[in-house]
Amino acid sequence: IVCQPAKILNFLRRQKYNADYELTAKQGADTLAYVALLEEKLLPAALHTFWVESDNYFTVTKPWFASRIPFPLSLILPGRMSRGALNRILLTRGAPPLYQLQEVEAQIYRDAKECLNLLSYRLGTSQFFFGDTPCTLDAYVFGFLAPLYKVRFPKVQLQEHLKQLSNLCRFCDDILHSYFRLTLGGTPPAGPESVDANLRKLTQLVNKESNLIEKMDDKLRQSPQLPPRKLPTLRLTPAEEESNSFQRLSP
Amino acid sequence: MSLVAEAFVSQIAATEPWPENATLYQQLKGEQILLSDNAASLAVQAFLQMCNLPIKVVCRANAEYMSPSGKVPFIHVGNQVVSELGPIVQFVKAKGHSLSDGLDEVQKAEMKAYMELVNNMLLTAELYLQWCDEATVGEITHARYGSPYPWPLNHILAYQKQWEIKRKMKAIGWGNKTLDQVLEDVDQCCQALSQRLGTQPYFFNKQPTELDALVFGHLYTILTTQLTNDELSEKVKNYSNLLAFCRRIEQHYFEERGKGRLS
Repeated sequence: IVCQPAKILNFLRRQKYNADYELTAKQGADTLAYVALLEEKLLPAALHTFWVESDNYFTVTKPWFASRIPFPLSLILPGRMSRGALNRILLTRGAPPLYQLQEVEAQIYRDAKECLNLLSYRLGTSQFFFGDTPCTLDAYVFGFLAPLYKVRFPKVQLQEHLKQLSNLCRFCDDILHSYFRLTLGGTPPAGPESVDANLRKLTQLVNKESNLIEKMDDKLRQSPQLPPRKLPTLRLTPAEEESNSFQRLSP
Repeated sequence: MSLVAEAFVSQIAATEPWPENATLYQQLKGEQILLSDNAASLAVQAFLQMCNLPIKVVCRANAEYMSPSGKVPFIHVGNQVVSELGPIVQFVKAKGHSLSDGLDEVQKAEMKAYMELVNNMLLTAELYLQWCDEATVGEITHARYGSPYPWPLNHILAYQKQWEIKRKMKAIGWGNKTLDQVLEDVDQCCQALSQRLGTQPYFFNKQPTELDALVFGHLYTILTTQLTNDELSEKVKNYSNLLAFCRRIEQHYFEERGKGRLS
């Protein structure tokens, strides 16, 4: 069993699946740097939006997770995840002179908005972060942005900010449309038209890779010590189920 | 700082020029200061040298407690106190000096991303090595951290700090890492920095930026600090362009200005 996105990516690489064939060394280095940026600046705010903000947590996240976990764990685990998230935020960002939780919150949301702006500048007008084919960084960014973009929360300040960055929204929509609206066994997603067998295999592998990363994206927001079998199933499912589940959850 | 306080500080900062008697506070160099703090302090010194701003370094045993955020180094300029590289860069910018004005938005994004990479990987690895590796803790860290204080205070403070750092490591998922995994992460980070630097003199070609100062601070300290084993510095020494980079900055900004070699 493999958990945490970085470990999954390493595991897949050892199995010879790799979306980064065509990246230069510098682009590989950039990937590592942007991943660090996301983890440092965006993750605390994402954790806060999902697990700490009480309106969001009690109306959306907790019922959602609890519905997939067997009783009596459904009473214990979401609370534990929430406390773990708050702990992580306070330990990493709650250093003095930010003594009040509101000040810490203000700071992490400010950092997250700045991070989203930076991602938007970096993406510019291209389809993916390194040209026309997706790679690990695209999968990673998508894993962070898509839940923030799509899940309907009562308190939505980060989502509002994200919606103003049209190129990031277009990026999420493109990937959702290409890789998640079709079943895994279906035809390869829209990309450069080619009958080259290798290219088709590559796109299928990227498909699988980003799917797996999405699945384990829940893990990223939770305590790393939790065993994976207690996790709920994939959140982003094919179109019909997706719209149904969102309608069920919105108040 | 809250938004209001920050705006206030920027306003005040903008009105006064950089004074001659600006001072930087850090812990005692010979006996007390640790690897991570030394790296941070050197990064700030390098940054201020690159901006051509005079600064005097003062060593105090209680520098950590004097600092407004609990972290060293901090600078005392006029009647303001600012700590840590990030806020210091912003403060200096408010006074009208900046190294990254010539960069476009995409480059600024890249610079910030690489600075986070260094903080995320190199700094965390340094903290891990200092506080979570039993050999280093026993031989070096405990003795150095508590050295200015009498018994039993030196032990109490050292254990307290160790407990705090271990808690933080656990929260970010580094609690279960072994030393080998940490060294592998350091290697990956150095590889990324080396690939980004390539054959250029600085990370953004001709002019140094705060990223160069930060990388220099960390790499130079790793290379020149004596630890229980040399594995950390060996990882950095594998990359010759990083070594050349450190040498270049040391020569240009520290030796030529008549400060003599950095100890």
